[in-house]
Amino acid sequence: MTVFHFFNCAILTFGPHAVYYSATPLSEYDTLWTSIKAAVVYLFTALVKLVCLATFLNVSESESDNFDPYQELLKALFGFIEVAGLYFALTQLTHRNISQNHKFQAVGLGWAFADSVLHRLVPLWFGARGLEFTWDYILQGLEANANLVFSISLAALGSLMWLRKNKPKTLIPIIYACAGIVATMPTITSYLRRGLGWHLPKVVGFELFSSLLIAFISWQLFVACQRPSN
Amino acid sequence: MANSFRKPAILDPMYYPIIALLIALIACVELSDAVTAVDVYRLVQYDISGVPFGSRLATLNHHAGSSFFGSGSSSDLSRTVLILPVRELNLTLITEYIEQKKLLGGLLLLLPPKFRPENTGSTFGADEDIDSLRNKLVELEWLLTHSNIPYPVYFAFEDDNIKAVLAEVKRNDASGQPATATTGGYKLVVAASDPKRIVSPNIANIQGWLPGLKVDGDSNQLPTIAIVASYDTFGAAPALSAGSDSNGSGVVALLEIARLFSALYSNPKTRGRYNLLFGLTSGGQYNYNGTQKWLRSFDQRLRESIDYAICLNNVGSLGNQLHLHVSKPPENAYIQQIFQGFSTVAEELGLQVGLKHKKINISNPRVAWEHEQFSRLRVTAATLSELSTAPELLESTGGLTDNRHFTSEASIIRSIKLVAESLARHIYSQEKKSISIFADDSSLAVNPSYIRSWLDLLSTTPRVAPFLSKNDPLIKALEKELADHTAEVNVQHETLDGTFTFYDSTSGKLHIYQVASVTFDLLLLLVLGSYLITLFSFLFITTRVRILVSLNLDSVILVYQSKYKDEEKKMRNSSNQSAGIVQQGLDDLISLFRRPSSRKVKST
Repeated sequence: MTVFHFFNCAILTFGPHAVYYSATPLSEYDTLWTSIKAAVVYLFTALVKLVCLATFLNVSESESDNFDPYQELLKALFGFIEVAGLYFALTQLTHRNISQNHKFQAVGLGWAFADSVLHRLVPLWFGARGLEFTWDYILQGLEANANLVFSISLAALGSLMWLRKNKPKTLIPIIYACAGIVATMPTITSYLRRGLGWHLPKVVGFELFSSLLIAFISWQLFVACQRPSN
Repeated sequence: MANSFRKPAILDPMYYPIIALLIALIACVELSDAVTAVDVYRLVQYDISGVPFGSRLATLNHHAGSSFFGSGSSSDLSRTVLILPVRELNLTLITEYIEQKKLLGGLLLLLPPKFRPENTGSTFGADEDIDSLRNKLVELEWLLTHSNIPYPVYFAFEDDNIKAVLAEVKRNDASGQPATATTGGYKLVVAASDPKRIVSPNIANIQGWLPGLKVDGDSNQLPTIAIVASYDTFGAAPALSAGSDSNGSGVVALLEIARLFSALYSNPKTRGRYNLLFGLTSGGQYNYNGTQKWLRSFDQRLRESIDYAICLNNVGSLGNQLHLHVSKPPENAYIQQIFQGFSTVAEELGLQVGLKHKKINISNPRVAWEHEQFSRLRVTAATLSELSTAPELLESTGGLTDNRHFTSEASIIRSIKLVAESLARHIYSQEKKSISIFADDSSLAVNPSYIRSWLDLLSTTPRVAPFLSKNDPLIKALEKELADHTAEVNVQHETLDGTFTFYDSTSGKLHIYQVASVTFDLLLLLVLGSYLITLFSFLFITTRVRILVSLNLDSVILVYQSKYKDEEKKMRNSSNQSAGIVQQGLDDLISLFRRPSSRKVKST
């Protein structure tokens, strides 16, 4: 029974990634290798980020619930390490000859999948199989979905920033602002949870909503940038 | 050949610790995430001459219920753990249930927190109906310890967590949803191994010797007076049986008497002409088995030198009536002498001491009073107790209800004065004079703080003999205390007689999990499945069909025409071309599972 629950949570957490890969043209263009490369880059980025966090952040002994602006600012700054990693994955890696459209999707997908595996698989394995029932793991799965959308949006915005040369000048600030918002999303949710004392369901709802919003905006931006080239 | 066989055997054990570590890690992580973990104390499990009594199981893993009637339709409780607060317990109902041997998944009895042995400080509120509750508990304890119960029975103390769980369970029961595997609810888990028989249960008798003043030459002939108290307990929950009155009070009295006489005997001028023998015996609940073994170990000369023995048993409860129980006829001169001594002092203290005579039936194995063991060996002895009649086997043994709150220090002090004073008058031959040797303000006064601290310690230490190890801190502490007051201390380790068999695992941790039902998970699976399918269709339609539409329509149709002729015919039949494209998308959706790759579609 509890293994069943674990199975359900795992489907919710990792299913969308697989569905995204198989339903979109990514599978047709065989972009799996690109995703794997992106995942490896994510692993290194996460390692670097961890080292930085461990070096510069003082860890309070008790899992403090209060929101420390200075610490969170530092964390947000380190959050940009991820952006740097994504930049590397998008521009520096040699990809097979696939279109930019698919490249950013593949990178975003690999990125999100690596994040889910790294941050959610172990808690899921130990937590969801226990007898005790909580909504936490289902919410965590939903969070993974939101994260997938965020990652792909960020990758889309990144590809707009770094790979597309002839984009309308008026859209550039919007692109950068959106990218900034997406990159600081962990800090924002942390602020909501600790600073405002929101409960997990509310935070996850916010994440889902904002991820859809960001996805919509970045899609519109992408379309808008594509127009002049056509 | 030999080498090739040996190699894996050498390699394999290296992995065992790692595997064991991993398993332990996983087990730890899995166990620690319960809503609530509660300390629970198992009902005693024991056999008398092979006849089983008490709770016969320890492992618990069932859903929680709150009443015997289940919830309406289903009266089968064999997979339900009933949580019953003792306060609201219906005794006749549970008696009936146990006597009819109806099956239960388990029983969790909630005791009021005030019965917690550690709870020595606070007192019971005057408003509470504590006496009826206490009587109820006594009855319940008797019922449980004298029945063979084929399911685990645990005791726990009420606290906020468990009350919240109980309220929830009651609400569920009231709403007609039985807590079974299909509807969720709470699951109570005690992970315990099968209770194992305690092989050769240990009983330790502690003996202290305070020698009298020897007059030159005839030292051997000094008479001895023995003061004895049994210190072990028995109760429904061995881990909670810290009998305060029975027989913590007797032990405290004995220690204080030893302290008083050690003060007297340390000075040669006040050293009496009697040897004093202090005995803290174990196995008192099992026909004074420890006392019997202790007496048997005496050599003949010592046994014959014992003038008389005073056994202290339950001397600490309120009330000023004490009884001197004897086995020899009351007309006996020695008995008369002892009784006279006691009643004179008792009068001065405002106490009443009655003489109770009960003959010994040698053929009956039941030994109701400790002095009977002495009497069986023809040693004059008497038991001082507040109980007026001989208790049954395993009755008033210091179980759940024998609490610190019901034991009064003042009564113990009075009893100590009574015994010490009458002993002292006997030893110093001052029987006729009304002097007070242990007067309140003298240097030989009874020390109330000493009594309080020892009584507190004993009232918080469970001491059911078979569960005390040889080097139990309590035994060490008693030994050390007696060593401080007497010249010579011996601890005698014996094995409890084979009639009684005990089983271990007296306490454990109860984990209360809130569990989801299988139907919930099935529903969740359905929802997730439809979510993923919707997501798939959405992504598919928005990405691929758009691409197809944006391409030249004719070429797309041609491609499909060449590849899927029959489907194309169907499509041709449909009048509307746009509908055909939707049909195409669906075909593509279906064909995705058939075709290895549709790149050819794009290439054309």
